[in-house]
Amino acid sequence: MRRPVSSLSLSSSLKVKLVRAGFQTTTDLQNLDPETLSAEASISQQEALEALQAARAGEGAASVTALELLQKEEEFRSIVTFSSQLDDALGGGIPVGKVSEICGAPGVGKTQLCLQLAVDVQVPQCFGGLGGQVIFVDTEGSFQLQRVTDLAGAAVRHCSLLAEDEEQRVAMTTFSVETILSNIFLVRCHDYVELLAELHLLPDFLRGKPKLRLLVIDSVAFPFLRLHDDLSQRTRLLQGLGLQLIATATGHNIAVVITNHMSTRLGGGQSQLVPALGDIWGHAASIRLLLRWEESRRLASIVKSPGHMDATVQYQITCEGFRDADQSEQLQRKRPRIQNNQ
Amino acid sequence: MSWDHLQLNPQIISAVQRAQLKSVREVLCVSGPDLQKMTGLSRSDVRELLHAAATASRTHQPVTALQLQRGECHRLESGLRLGTGCPVLDQLLRGGLPVGGVTELSGESGAGKTQLGLQLCLSVQYPVEHRGLSSGALYICTEDPFPIKRLQQLISEQSVLRSDVPRSLISGLQFSDHIYIEHTADLDSLQVCLLRRAPILLARGLVRLIVIDSVAALFSQEFTTPILCINQVTDVFNQSANSLSSSSSSVCPALGLAWANQVMVRLMMRRLQGKVFLGDQSSALRRLEVVFAPHLARNSRDIGVWREGLRAVLDPD
Repeated sequence: MRRPVSSLSLSSSLKVKLVRAGFQTTTDLQNLDPETLSAEASISQQEALEALQAARAGEGAASVTALELLQKEEEFRSIVTFSSQLDDALGGGIPVGKVSEICGAPGVGKTQLCLQLAVDVQVPQCFGGLGGQVIFVDTEGSFQLQRVTDLAGAAVRHCSLLAEDEEQRVAMTTFSVETILSNIFLVRCHDYVELLAELHLLPDFLRGKPKLRLLVIDSVAFPFLRLHDDLSQRTRLLQGLGLQLIATATGHNIAVVITNHMSTRLGGGQSQLVPALGDIWGHAASIRLLLRWEESRRLASIVKSPGHMDATVQYQITCEGFRDADQSEQLQRKRPRIQNNQ
Repeated sequence: MSWDHLQLNPQIISAVQRAQLKSVREVLCVSGPDLQKMTGLSRSDVRELLHAAATASRTHQPVTALQLQRGECHRLESGLRLGTGCPVLDQLLRGGLPVGGVTELSGESGAGKTQLGLQLCLSVQYPVEHRGLSSGALYICTEDPFPIKRLQQLISEQSVLRSDVPRSLISGLQFSDHIYIEHTADLDSLQVCLLRRAPILLARGLVRLIVIDSVAALFSQEFTTPILCINQVTDVFNQSANSLSSSSSSVCPALGLAWANQVMVRLMMRRLQGKVFLGDQSSALRRLEVVFAPHLARNSRDIGVWREGLRAVLDPD
């Protein structure tokens, strides 16, 4: 595959020397030996070797057809939320291999949904789950062991009632509150530097854990909102973070779920509730779920998704966890208006 | 900063020194492409650098929730809760105030918020088996002077409120010796108190409860101690536009969204119509409501304010 030399992962001074000597793309570097290259570009033999290796590393990356991609995608299951209406609207649940963002006002249920997903990802495959592990990055201190235990117990009870065949009964012997707790890895980050450090170390952590299928960050907003003296640095860091999360999701085949706060945007004499962290951050996630109150009802809206229609469903939070509302109406709107406060 | 112990190849180390990066934190605060520009290193070298910096700065490895449940990680889950002194309210809160998060208590004036704050200053002094934390409290007043007379009355009536605790234990506790009172009139002195004086008291193990009555301050410190922030309320003018909460009340906690995002447990105290009676005492009826918390259902209990303190009122049926 032909690539420009400037896109190779080499030091910038080396790239400048190569381009100046007339080597613009990787095809120009083909079939050269290190001595010739070092003479023509006036670089050392070592640098010439590096350049040729980098050029060669790009080749052999086969392209994939759309059909192959579709087949791959169908193999990856989604993580159910235990609210069947929301799962239907999402086409199965929270997708693996993508970044999903959950926004909402305080207390509406973002952490509850995250805790629910941390339990649901572990549901055995014979019950339609992924039988996977989860790493939960907590930046707010909202991970409550009591609550996770509640949700784990409810999930175990739910599956025991459903167990019909031998395979499922055997699976239930290893699906208990204790094993669920043992498959949730918890990291507590106190500021954005700790969060960034954890994400740099994530590939190492994932290497030893092939069963890990979910990464939760609750929340991304909290540590970054404190960084308000240098907004351009914040934007650059968030951009890098977004790219890293996408790469982690696709490269390691895991679902990445992040939560975000709401903040108030003022303009034209009106104030509006919008997801925090700015517009550029809005591009990081493929799917954005907005949780909000409408009087005493809790609503979840899909406000951004390349593969799904925008939809709103009602949910509730019971002592067993995130569930469908008892009497809900499936509301289908083009795009739910975010409240305008005059 | 000595970069040598980071086990990086010398080329990378000299590039970092030339770019005048002085600490691992500084390195981590710069995005990848910016680091490349600053150091002139290749992308893979920058990745190695970030990896080494992250390893050096990480203090704790991930732990499993099972380890938390087994009590193997007190840093993250001590399993402790601060009881209120009333078993019914403790049940509402599933044990009491959580350690290591901010609990906000809002309500109109006269609802009883300060009462609960005072009561907690006493309950924290009991040992863990009586739902205390065996330590004292820091009470920060920002407006009204500290209600010392009421505190003394509560102290003298502790044996009435805490009938679950042996009298000898109660009389052995010197309650007023372990309540540190501060008056801060403005945000700056409140910050000084929280950033300088509080950590000293905490480090010496003298306090395990901080009550702030009643200005909410945004603080980014991490305390592994319960913090109770008493807040005021403002009126809600446009009911339908209040998509921030589900309650249809006409008031909401003051200070807005940015503050609310930092609160872990939000409680609300309200004064209701009617009176309740207990023995020879009568009290205006109040209600303590859980507005949100990651581990609690939305629920409430009716309470009365008595000589001996706050106590829930149970329905006659």
